[in-house]
Amino acid sequence: MKLPRTLLPYAFIGPAILFLAALLVWPLVQAVVLSLQDVRSVGTTGKWVGLDNYREVLTDGTFWSSTWLSLVWVVTNAVLQTVLALLAALALNQNFPGVRIARTWIVLTWIIPTVVVVMIWRWLFSTSGGIVNPLLIQAGIIDRPVGFFARPNTAFATLVFINSWRWFPFITLMMLAGLTRIPGDLYEAARIDGAGPWKRFSRITWPLLAPTLGVLLVIGTLLSFNVFDIIWLMTSGGPAGGTRTLPVLIYETAFKSYRMSEAAAVAVLATLFLMGFAVVATRWLARPPEAR
Amino acid sequence: MTRIRKPHLLAGAALTALMPLSAAAQTELTLWHMEQPPHRVERVQTLLDEFNESHPDIVVKQEPQNWGEVYAKAPAALAAGVGPDMLFAIPDFTPILKSVGALTSVQDFVEELDGEHDFIDSAVEAYSYDDGIWAVPLYNMSMNLWYRPSVLDAAGVAVPTTWEEWAAAAETLTADGAYGMGLPANKQLYTDQTVYSVMANGGASEIYNEDGTLRFDNPETVEAYTFYNDMLQFSPPDAPSWTWGEAEACFASASCGMILQFSVISTYDTQAEGDAADLGVAAIPSKDSEGHNTIAYANAVMLLSQDEEKMEASKTFVRWLLQPENYGRFLNMEPGLFMPVTADGAKADSFWSDPMVEKYKPQIETVIENSQNGMLFGFTSGRVFPAIAAISAQNVLAETLQAIAINGKDPAEAVAAGQARMMDLTD
Repeated sequence: MKLPRTLLPYAFIGPAILFLAALLVWPLVQAVVLSLQDVRSVGTTGKWVGLDNYREVLTDGTFWSSTWLSLVWVVTNAVLQTVLALLAALALNQNFPGVRIARTWIVLTWIIPTVVVVMIWRWLFSTSGGIVNPLLIQAGIIDRPVGFFARPNTAFATLVFINSWRWFPFITLMMLAGLTRIPGDLYEAARIDGAGPWKRFSRITWPLLAPTLGVLLVIGTLLSFNVFDIIWLMTSGGPAGGTRTLPVLIYETAFKSYRMSEAAAVAVLATLFLMGFAVVATRWLARPPEAR
Repeated sequence: MTRIRKPHLLAGAALTALMPLSAAAQTELTLWHMEQPPHRVERVQTLLDEFNESHPDIVVKQEPQNWGEVYAKAPAALAAGVGPDMLFAIPDFTPILKSVGALTSVQDFVEELDGEHDFIDSAVEAYSYDDGIWAVPLYNMSMNLWYRPSVLDAAGVAVPTTWEEWAAAAETLTADGAYGMGLPANKQLYTDQTVYSVMANGGASEIYNEDGTLRFDNPETVEAYTFYNDMLQFSPPDAPSWTWGEAEACFASASCGMILQFSVISTYDTQAEGDAADLGVAAIPSKDSEGHNTIAYANAVMLLSQDEEKMEASKTFVRWLLQPENYGRFLNMEPGLFMPVTADGAKADSFWSDPMVEKYKPQIETVIENSQNGMLFGFTSGRVFPAIAAISAQNVLAETLQAIAINGKDPAEAVAAGQARMMDLTD
């Protein structure tokens, strides 16, 4: 049997769509169904409660404080990681002895397992034998040991630092790929015209790197928003909920408070938010540069 | 070429054919426990190897888990049909698995073991509710005050017995970069344990009234929290993020003069001076020195298999483990931490002949003595309130402390909010 020509493309993409539906859409549908019930523990059943869980979640201050923390988490991580990655990428884009080794080794922090990262930093920041406090005291920055994970603000800032330390090499590599695509003769011409380093950066590097940064913004936001492991292992959302971002809240609600359906409602809301962001960002990126 | 005789060939073929049958006849059991340190895993493995060798029809394998995750992981694994056949538990864990229908009563089995080994009554009571016994007690743990006599002597401080003396001692010992008292304030089980140990020594051991209503919000609880918060000023600044390991490290490095811990013997012996004469242990100070209480956990094993053959094999394993010649070696996977819950286990040579137990015998005797006054929130006065499981899983005792110590809330308000949170969770 010969397939009509108009249906042929659908036949090709059909299996992929079915595969994606099975992997992504079906669990999402399950999550939505779960959020409309009152299931407490895994493995138990619940009755239909309609939108009660959403009402409960949206009127709960914890949800809004976690949402706020998630937004601050995404923005602070994005800023810090972009700055660190840009500096590292610009440095690695130069020609100096050992640059190839440096380009290889910069991914080290990214490939270390999260648990190891957590163990290393916990002990570095510890007041019993950790090295950070004595160094800061010696440098005159603090006069007595500080509990980095003892207060909500310092715990949050420390986590942002550790997470950025872990992830900026990934962004550095992406930026480096973007930098290497910028034709060298543009810099050469600018140099002949008398442009200094700042002008070359602001008029050539930055505009031509912008598309890469745009893509990184979307990917980085989605990745940062969903970070759970490092936060959970380091602070479990504490102290006093000071690092309880939405993924941590979802886990706590599901597996500590035994409210699976309520956790599903939070997860669905977070997914809607992320999908909305992804759609807007993708449309923005699809526009021609002059229309942005 | 060597000629193979026909009968030998037949015998070989028969043996080969039967081998899969004998392998298939073995009952495989999976044991989940939360004793993760490598030396404990190694000791458990030694015992499992011995058991497996002496019981060719049963194979028990261990899969160490984490206390922080097992409350979530076990119900999920059991619901997915990939749960363990045996799972270690503390009392507040059993109501959770019972609520998802994963537990059957082991009352007959516990009674059989009680007849043979004589369980400490309180160990069984913690697992007895809703007309059944839901786990087999295995070992006891109780919290103690650990210190170095030389450090206290140098500071001219006596071992504290009252809250007043305790605070004064902690203040004196907080000098020259050292901290007098290492107390956690993390939202975690360790903090629940230390907070409750202070509450129990301040007349606030009962969280429930007799009729099952909550009585957490009372003046004694507020006073205990106020005292605990005051003591935190003598703790290292990172104490709000501590779990058990950080407290032991603080003590081992002599950064902390005193800590509350189940046991520090192993850490002290391997990572600190290891001088038995300079390791002190005492009962946790009480508000007015009238009787010293502590938190105590009778750890147990839940038998989870729905398969009759596996359930019977699990019982065979537990019977074997509680035999005095094996039981002491099991307890000594962490010498000084795990105490016997059976009368014959308390006298077992296998317990007392361990080199570490011999070295720290006075300390271990004190720990056993302190454990006589052990209690556990939600399981006091011979009554069991299964609703405590949700409260414990959410670490509400620790959460209440954080409201005071980190958010600066007034203790009375924080305790009232804590009670409201407990009611919400048990709703």
